[in-house]
Amino acid sequence: MVPITYYLLLAAALFCMGMFGVLVRRNALVVFMCVELMLNAANLTFLAFARMHGDNTGHVSAFFVIAVAAAEAAIGLAIVIAVFRSRGSVLVEDIRTMKH
Amino acid sequence: MNLAEFFQVAPVPPELLAPSLWLIIALPLLGAFICGVFGRMLGRANVHLIACSAVAGAFVLSVLAFWATSHTGPGTAEGTRRLLAFYRNPFGIEADFVRYALAYDYGTWFAAGDFRVNFGLAVDHLSGILLLVITGVGFLIHLYSTSYMEHDDGYWRYFAYLNLFVAAMLTLVLADNLVLLFVGWEGVGMASYLLIGFWYTDPAKAWAGRKAFVTNRIGDFAFLIGTFLLVLLVSAFTRQANSADYANAGSSGPRYTSSLQEKGPLTFKGLEKLAEGMVDTGTDKVDLTTPIEAGPLEGYTFGGVMTAAMLLFLLGAAGKSAQLPLYVWLPDAMAGPTPVSALIHAATMVTAGVYLFSRMASLLVLSPTAMATVAIIGALTSLLAALIAFAQDDIKKVLAYSTVSQLGIMFMGVGMGIFWAAVLHLVTHAFFKACLFLGAGSVMHGNGDETDIKKLGGLRHEMKWTWGTFLVATLAITGIIPLSGFFSKDAIFHGVHHNHLHGLEWVSGALYYVGLLIAACTAFYMTRLYLLTFEGPRSKEARVAHAHESAWQMTLPLVVLAVLSVLSLVYALPLMRSSGSGQPQPVFENFLSPVFGAMSRIANAAKTAELDTSVPSIVDYVKAWVVALSGGVGAAFLYLRFFPARVGQPVPAFARAVRRTAQNKFYVDELYELVIIRPVKFMSFILFRVVDALLIDTVAVRGTAWVTARVGSALRYVQTGDAQAYAAVMAIALLGGVAYALIQVMQ
Repeated sequence: MVPITYYLLLAAALFCMGMFGVLVRRNALVVFMCVELMLNAANLTFLAFARMHGDNTGHVSAFFVIAVAAAEAAIGLAIVIAVFRSRGSVLVEDIRTMKH
Repeated sequence: MNLAEFFQVAPVPPELLAPSLWLIIALPLLGAFICGVFGRMLGRANVHLIACSAVAGAFVLSVLAFWATSHTGPGTAEGTRRLLAFYRNPFGIEADFVRYALAYDYGTWFAAGDFRVNFGLAVDHLSGILLLVITGVGFLIHLYSTSYMEHDDGYWRYFAYLNLFVAAMLTLVLADNLVLLFVGWEGVGMASYLLIGFWYTDPAKAWAGRKAFVTNRIGDFAFLIGTFLLVLLVSAFTRQANSADYANAGSSGPRYTSSLQEKGPLTFKGLEKLAEGMVDTGTDKVDLTTPIEAGPLEGYTFGGVMTAAMLLFLLGAAGKSAQLPLYVWLPDAMAGPTPVSALIHAATMVTAGVYLFSRMASLLVLSPTAMATVAIIGALTSLLAALIAFAQDDIKKVLAYSTVSQLGIMFMGVGMGIFWAAVLHLVTHAFFKACLFLGAGSVMHGNGDETDIKKLGGLRHEMKWTWGTFLVATLAITGIIPLSGFFSKDAIFHGVHHNHLHGLEWVSGALYYVGLLIAACTAFYMTRLYLLTFEGPRSKEARVAHAHESAWQMTLPLVVLAVLSVLSLVYALPLMRSSGSGQPQPVFENFLSPVFGAMSRIANAAKTAELDTSVPSIVDYVKAWVVALSGGVGAAFLYLRFFPARVGQPVPAFARAVRRTAQNKFYVDELYELVIIRPVKFMSFILFRVVDALLIDTVAVRGTAWVTARVGSALRYVQTGDAQAYAAVMAIALLGGVAYALIQVMQ
């Protein structure tokens, strides 16, 4: 059996990659995929701990996260499409309306 | 029923009249309200009717109230008639009644702790006389104004102010305590400010109003401090007095303190009892030299505090009654309409100081120092004003300085303890000076508003009524026998000569001769004024070729006032007998003795002043008459023979330098400018520049805004609107948090 440390290290690596992508990528779709990566890193820790403790709470939490992530992706993609239609671009650095 | 009985039974009994005293004030106040608020809609005739009838109504009520102060019961036989016009003095013992007076207390006005002020009104012979003068002369002046102000656009505003003034003045004299008196005192000051600056579009006139207002405020401040001193004095007295003190005052400790709770410490009757309690008779604990044991005045003597309070009241009275050093506003106050000058600046408001001291006579006589100061200030003011009046060419200015001078004479009388004569001079002065001012107004009215007496002349034949009445009033103020001014002024000078202040005996002797000099000066400048205005040929520079006589609304008051200024001489004749000694006594002294009785008792017991009650002899009269006559004849001789003093004609060289100084009012205004106004202005300038402009405006107000703006513009660069930048900040913060947590765990 693989010790839990490996799972956690993998999850941390995935999370960092995801976060790195969120912070540096310019394309909003890639940023979204990186967010999914971070969520999956979190799911991985849930499942690892669930298996270590031998109960189902972590599995349930992972399902919730997947469901919420799917909903979020639907809304996020809708927003990205709407922004692309109005501005002709999906680069996050072009969208600076929070300044006002 | 003979005449004496008729006057002793009032048509309205006193018990019915006393609760209605407030109506006397309320009527003119209502008139002021109606004229002021609805005046523009009502039209001229209605405003005139309302304003005049309000004052006329107050006059009728005043007559009834005054009549009722001598009301006797229904019995007709000599022994059974009983005086019914009295009220129980709460500060005294059971049998202590204030006779010849009505009073009514409308309850608490305000109270704070054990300090309490009641809305109490009282009419005795002193305030009764003043009521008649204010409403009587006031009515005549209202009547006169209906014609004088006929063509003015602000007539409704004018009558509203005039009614307001009358109401305030009535409050002043009806009040039975110092605080309510102060309400009237401030009220007349405000009405005076409004009326002096009535033609506010002319900056000079608005400025004169402000000068009067500010000068009066200085005096009012002193008045207030004096009032507070008296409150402290009353509480110190109640703490320290023993039963012998209260016995002196004809009262007892419990009764006095319960009355203080009921009426407050500042009622005149209570203050009178305080003065009686301080009289030294041996076994009592508190007299004038006793130090105060506790409280804010600890260590000072009762007499010292009393003197200080009286001197503060003197400064207050100096503001209102135009005495040194605060007289400068009155001559400038002539900027207002002429009837205002007659009403305020001759007949009523300026005499408030004399009234105040007469009301507080029993306290004043406790302090010879204060009395002497009052008398000396009065004499100096009177002399200075008379000398300035010598060279003024403006007809109203001469009269204004003459008013200041006459007020100074009244103050001399008050200061030397001859109160009844001062009040008599107040009354006669109200008649003849109102007559003079209204005459001057009539002259201006008929001559195209010309006020320079050098450009008048020869009016004798063109304005017969004005001429006649002006002549009578001039003779009265000059002191020609047998007009009223002679008797009242001479009564004062006689009293000044014969009364002595303990420790300050030289004052009476010195002031008598100053008084004679003032009398001669008065005669001189009044004769000059009369001659230049009415006699001789008409000036070549006159504005209109022929003057016209004024309407009946203006001449009728003149005639009435002229008649009154002759008739009021009766009051000075020794026709009555003193109830104590049986000596002949002037009518007015006898008449006011219920008011000033306590004053004489206190002065005799405290040995602060020796009050003489003798009647002037023929020799005294002749002396005074010769002095007045010599002044008048001197003026006539000089002005008719040597310098007819028309414009363009040379004046003898010796007169020129003196004249220039006098014409410039001895540079007193300039002196004040240099000594007081400039330094104050300089200080204000410094304060304005350093404190206001620099510290408050620049540092505090604009500085705060500057700092906020700068911080904002620096933080502007942080807000990029870039979600990734924000996320980076969050990530770095998270990283910092994790690093911190790791370090904590490791340790």
